[in-house]
Amino acid sequence: MKVFWESVFKKNPVLVLAMGLVPAVAITTTAHNGWVLGISITAVLLASSIINYVLVPLVPSTSRVALRVLVLIVLVVALYGLMVHKRPGLVAGLGVFFPFMVADAFRLQSSENQPTFGQVVLEALGQGVGFIWALVLIGLVREFLAFGSLFGKEVLTGVLRPLSLASGVPGGLIIVGLLLALTRVINKQGGELHD
Amino acid sequence: MIDGLDILIGTVITGNIVLIHGLGLYALTRYTKTVDGAVRAGLNTVVGMLVGAIILWLLGDIVPTSPTSYLGFYVIVGFVAASAAPYLTRQNTSREYHVVDTALIGLLLLMAEGGVMGVDHLWYAMGAAFGYFVVLVIVATIRQRLELAPIPKALQGTPIVLIIAGLLGLALLGFRL
Repeated sequence: MKVFWESVFKKNPVLVLAMGLVPAVAITTTAHNGWVLGISITAVLLASSIINYVLVPLVPSTSRVALRVLVLIVLVVALYGLMVHKRPGLVAGLGVFFPFMVADAFRLQSSENQPTFGQVVLEALGQGVGFIWALVLIGLVREFLAFGSLFGKEVLTGVLRPLSLASGVPGGLIIVGLLLALTRVINKQGGELHD
Repeated sequence: MIDGLDILIGTVITGNIVLIHGLGLYALTRYTKTVDGAVRAGLNTVVGMLVGAIILWLLGDIVPTSPTSYLGFYVIVGFVAASAAPYLTRQNTSREYHVVDTALIGLLLLMAEGGVMGVDHLWYAMGAAFGYFVVLVIVATIRQRLELAPIPKALQGTPIVLIIAGLLGLALLGFRL
């Protein structure tokens, strides 16, 4: 379980490793978007980790990168197709950048040292849960600042929106930068060397 | 010609791929420690973008229009273009970075969403590539100047780069008004 909890907090993909920055900044403008995106990334990470664990040792090392990318593309397209078919409203909120989870999942799984099946599954689940809570947190902050609401429910009725720019990319960059710094303060990390 | 120039200027300034669309942040946070590193990483993506645009231009009407099928198609075109770029620029870059370049895949998806057709692919890609390259170099230059600045430890590195990019993006938003 140590691998799981490390991936959730100490090596959080978004707030510590700064991996899913494009989804965090370009897509996660509301907590709901963060939740949907987090769940989607978790499903893709888990499925691709299991498939890669089985398939990667069977192919020559020169073809492994292409195989891993192909597996991710197939999974993301299948998930996208499923969501468009079952819940088109969910996809509409995520926009055109849905396939970026291919890039994030690929970079997170770049290590080829996969000792046991259980560890692979736990690590993928931990990274997925790490993605979910980080993206929901970013979504909550941005939604509150930009629209005065939380998960679509208005909490600042009749009050001037504090910072409408928070829903845009520039505002998102600043907010995510500040949340990254806050995480470092909590983890007692920081400095250029930490990168 | 005027349309082409409009697209070019729009993609560099008001539709900048990094600062307005939030793409290519992996390169922005990892490869801007030195101007030299930013130039090398930027060059690879620039070439990848142009290769991707040429592929789309050549394919013409074959490009799928259904969202579920074009998603995979554009990611594959992006993967092919990104894999070809280091051979054309003769540079060694991190494989994890260049095969799944979000700026490149994002550019292709933005062109699909915007209904860009024919030779406009090239104008769009040239503008986006130039805008991307300039942002990387500017952020690397600012980052080098900040080396001696008394920045709190928690903000050093990735957080300050994101904040700088956010402020630059806010400046560009001014051109949209």
